[in-house]
Amino acid sequence: MTNEVRLLRFLAQDMTQAELGKRVGLTRQTIAAIEQGRYSPSLDVAFRIAHLFGKRVDEVFHWQPGGDQGMETASSDAG
Amino acid sequence: MSSLQKRAWLALWSMCPVYCIYFVAQIGLPYLRPTMLERIGCLAVVASFHAVAYICGLLVIKRHEAGEPLLQDERDRAIDGRATRTAYFILLTGMIVVGMVMPFSNSGWELVNAALFFIVLTETARYALILIGYRQPHLAH
Repeated sequence: MTNEVRLLRFLAQDMTQAELGKRVGLTRQTIAAIEQGRYSPSLDVAFRIAHLFGKRVDEVFHWQPGGDQGMETASSDAG
Repeated sequence: MSSLQKRAWLALWSMCPVYCIYFVAQIGLPYLRPTMLERIGCLAVVASFHAVAYICGLLVIKRHEAGEPLLQDERDRAIDGRATRTAYFILLTGMIVVGMVMPFSNSGWELVNAALFFIVLTETARYALILIGYRQPHLAH
């Protein structure tokens, strides 16, 4: 899964990772992991991030078939 | 570095050295024919060292984190959950060995030390998996 979080932060007056994290309830490290594509957030967090930037979820996060292999996800803890 | 990572490093550094010394010492200890009280004292000293080192480290970490708005989020909990789940199976295996296999051939302090060894191994595995989970996420699945 790829995303536009870094770009959207830049467009939002270069919002810091810490500030974004604070507003959506994540740590700065997790925002960095999302931007680098090392972590796929839960649906709830994805909606919160999209809502914060005034976008739809599919405008912020892009899913590609087979693209999540080897990636850490919020739901991988549920099993 | 996240709060959970700091705590994992602290736990590893406070636990591994002292218990390594303890288990190495246990190899040579039977030849010195220590009394029960001396053995308990040895274990108490090691456990105290571990506790003091961990508590001191934790106080330092808490002091540095005083202004942090959020200490753990869903990613931290997911990594912790996966590491704990793996560690649980190590502990389960260890307790089966100590409680169901070893009593037929061993007794006394051998059982005590084997149980302690598996507890330390479980904790070490848990914290190591937490650290690996942050560095190489695909290994934490």
